[in-house]
Amino acid sequence: MRKLFAAFAAVAVALTGSVFLAPISKAADVSLTMYSWRVEDKAFYEDVIKDYTAANPGVKITYQSFPSADYQTILMSAMAAGKGPDIVHVRAYGALDQLVVPGYLSPLAANEIKGLSKYPKDALDSQRGFSDKRLFGIPFAYQSLGIFYNLDYMRKAGINLPPKTYPEFVAQLKKIKDAGLQPLANGGSTHMEQMWGTIAPMFYGGTDYYNDVVAGKKTFNDPAFVKSLEAVQELFPYMPANATAVNYDASRALFFSGKAAFFLGGIFELGYFRAQNPKLKFDFMATPPMTAGGKQFVSTWADGGYGINAKTSNRAESLKFINYLASKSYGQRFTEKIAQISAVPGVVIKDRQLNKAVSSINKGGTPYIMLVGFRYKNPTGSALLQTGLPNMLNGTKTAKQVADEVTKGVATWFAPFAGKI
Amino acid sequence: MKTASYSSEKNNLFLDGFLKFALVLNALGVFVPLLFMINSSFRNGADIYTTPLALAQGFDLTNYRLVLTEGKFLQYLSNSILVTAFSTLIVLICGAGAGYALARYQFRFNTTLYLFFLAGLLIPAKLALVPLFIQLKNMGLLDSRLGLILVYAAGAMPAAVFIYTGFIRALPADLDNAARIDGASELQVFRKVMLPLIFPVTGIVGIYTAIPIWNDFLLPLVFIRDTSKMTIMQGISVFFGEYGANWGALFAGLTLAALPLIVLYIILSSQFIKGMTAGATKG
Amino acid sequence: MTTYQRPWIFIFVTPALLLTIAFTLVPALTLLSYSLFSWQSFKRGEFVGIENFTRLMQFPFREDFLGAFQNNVLVFLTLFLVQTSLGLLLALAIYRLKRGKKFFQAIVFLPVILSLIIVAFMWKLFLDPLFGPISAIAVEFNLAWLNQPWLGQPGLALFTLIFIGLWRWVGFPAIVFLAGMNSINEEFIEAARIDGASEFQIFRKVIFPLLAPSFTIVAILTFIGAFEWFELPYVIGGVTGQPGGSTTTMALLFYRLAFGTVDSATVDVGLSSAIGVILFVFVGIGAALGSYYLRKREVQQ
Repeated sequence: MRKLFAAFAAVAVALTGSVFLAPISKAADVSLTMYSWRVEDKAFYEDVIKDYTAANPGVKITYQSFPSADYQTILMSAMAAGKGPDIVHVRAYGALDQLVVPGYLSPLAANEIKGLSKYPKDALDSQRGFSDKRLFGIPFAYQSLGIFYNLDYMRKAGINLPPKTYPEFVAQLKKIKDAGLQPLANGGSTHMEQMWGTIAPMFYGGTDYYNDVVAGKKTFNDPAFVKSLEAVQELFPYMPANATAVNYDASRALFFSGKAAFFLGGIFELGYFRAQNPKLKFDFMATPPMTAGGKQFVSTWADGGYGINAKTSNRAESLKFINYLASKSYGQRFTEKIAQISAVPGVVIKDRQLNKAVSSINKGGTPYIMLVGFRYKNPTGSALLQTGLPNMLNGTKTAKQVADEVTKGVATWFAPFAGKI
Repeated sequence: MKTASYSSEKNNLFLDGFLKFALVLNALGVFVPLLFMINSSFRNGADIYTTPLALAQGFDLTNYRLVLTEGKFLQYLSNSILVTAFSTLIVLICGAGAGYALARYQFRFNTTLYLFFLAGLLIPAKLALVPLFIQLKNMGLLDSRLGLILVYAAGAMPAAVFIYTGFIRALPADLDNAARIDGASELQVFRKVMLPLIFPVTGIVGIYTAIPIWNDFLLPLVFIRDTSKMTIMQGISVFFGEYGANWGALFAGLTLAALPLIVLYIILSSQFIKGMTAGATKG
Repeated sequence: MTTYQRPWIFIFVTPALLLTIAFTLVPALTLLSYSLFSWQSFKRGEFVGIENFTRLMQFPFREDFLGAFQNNVLVFLTLFLVQTSLGLLLALAIYRLKRGKKFFQAIVFLPVILSLIIVAFMWKLFLDPLFGPISAIAVEFNLAWLNQPWLGQPGLALFTLIFIGLWRWVGFPAIVFLAGMNSINEEFIEAARIDGASEFQIFRKVIFPLLAPSFTIVAILTFIGAFEWFELPYVIGGVTGQPGGSTTTMALLFYRLAFGTVDSATVDVGLSSAIGVILFVFVGIGAALGSYYLRKREVQQ
């Protein structure tokens, strides 16, 4: 028992010491907090903040990032508790609306942001609520889905050029697999919506289909949509062994450690891959069309924005920082440092691979259907796909059943689907 | 009387052999994963991708350095110590007091209160998460270690009271009566007579209370947002989110998080065992 | 018991009582009230009576709820049968050891003191098909049976989680049974030996029946633990119970409805509270009934 007592005494000493370890904040400057889900970009934001605070003395900004999977929950509960950040890195469309409806965000008036009129309409619209059409954030980036490829790895299977058509892409996958190598890095456990979204628009009919569904003229039971699901099934043999248990982090790691030929995903991984393995030589392409020279479809979306907490006690200072984030110099820095497509108008992109993405968006951009149109209420189209696609791959459900489930689930809140199922 | 026949002796040998084999298997099952985790913590993340099963070359501390500095583990550790220690202290003091009163004093609500605490054993903090969340928010205790401490202490109180009451009831009342006759006040009786007597079971209650609090993840996950206030178990999940691609660092993080309890356990294993199975085992 | 000392009773009992009431009882009662209202995020709406409970039984929540309940039942049955038996086996093994009892006791119990979080994350890495050791061993030594998508196949995943849970917790019943065995009067066993009974018979007829109280405790705790399973599925399968929702337990569903998923936060606090109430009542009644029934059998022994 004496040992136990000694242990307790040691603990008591430790905790007394640890009380002094607790940070003491200075009540001098205006102190702002910023929340984000971009854990990967933490160093970048902290750098930007450092320079901003040097140029704007009297302000202190703390950047806190949270794992993407928990971010929405963390943000919502912090806001609900009245303890949210001053500057909020918000997502777009449905996820934004969840913050708008309870009034957590402060609307931004047109005259409060310099250069607001130069932003493209669809980018600004992505930062408006579903019913409350005011602006709640300034857009920060565009994203698109495409195919990363490692030509050195492909050469091992005797392939010297990236595929020019989609059938050629599948043929290359087969050739790589026959050579005993790993064609696709993508796993089938998480982030399946992304893999699907890279090839899906080509099968379901791009923007025309999107408009039809949003208007309620078509549902997800449409044969073309089912075809898009089956296309993923077609790629299953080329995914890693035991793919249904391979998660997103492992998939990315497989690609950036040079152990797979292709990775279907978002352009936002460009910076991530480069950071994880600077020595890797890889390139990015939009999903190739069905026929040579045919129409290309690129799932794209405005990724979110920077907004202000409705309950902030420092709206003026927060607004000043937001204006900085809407400035061309910031946008330029953003694009150059973390290799993403800044939404700030007038930013010049010098990065070759990013430029490829931008031009492909301009040529064949189509809304990333579930994220853009169907995340407003639960169950979201994305969640239904995320559950359904792995089930399709592991054989529990057919593509048609998955499409059915998505339609039924969305129909519980999406009025235009009423009577269609 | 019949003596054990030869065949049943052979059976006994088989039985014992089989049992010993089971123990060895269990020991391997416990050690091999832990040793693998520790081994991988000394390896470079990219190497683990290429050769998952290789042995570490020496004791490379890069991963540990990363975990302790950028990974903020020291901060998480100090928070865990703070929260666990204070919660346990509160439980020990208030629980002993309540146990003493319920065991020694005869009064109208004695049985009711005892049953009340007993019923409290049935209510897991897990299910009352949302009400607790809103309640703490209204009290301004959200995102605070004090809030955690109070919730933990309240959750552990019923079991502590239960154990203390049972233990004190079994103690003969002669000593405290003698002290009272000598003119000691109630507080003195409690301090000078009771406390030394319940010392043995205090260790058990302490461990039974402290370990689950230290190991807990759910409450900090819901109540704590500020990284400077996170406990170590919550910190692991944050760390896994940030460094998910660096397996060496991940294993180092796990090893560091497991280390404090493992070290304490090696020193005090029998107390740990007694403490953690308190109430479930007789004695 | 000694004399009636009014103010002292107050002083001694109140702190503990207040804390328990404030942070355990009040939230539990509040949970009940929450389940009777409709909610917009964390803002309470209007009184809707049992509507949350009925909504739980309709599409799309019904499937989730019943599936989760089924999973909990599976977890309980498997743990109850397998974990308890293994615990008994290990306890008997230590009990019969001539030397090294304390050593093996410590080893058997070691995983129990580890946080479920550490255990979950550790095994999550181990079971990774691309970079984890399990898969690497399977490939290296050509063990096809080991080379499965353990966490990718809906049927397999839950059992993989059960395995992990077992790995971590089997030491607990082992120690409880061991304590029970240690408290058995040696004379009974000696008498049986003299009568010529084999060790196996001794176990069946003397030891096992006298373990009834330990058995009761293990059974009740396994029941409560199984139906409140949260950490393992949360860390390994994620809040959506991947793969395909097959690792969703009731506690996970309860959490998900209250605190949301990746692309959407708070789904419905009312529904979540309804699940909480159901879970609470079910576990409470189950534990009480089980306790009562098993205690009766104990006495009979």
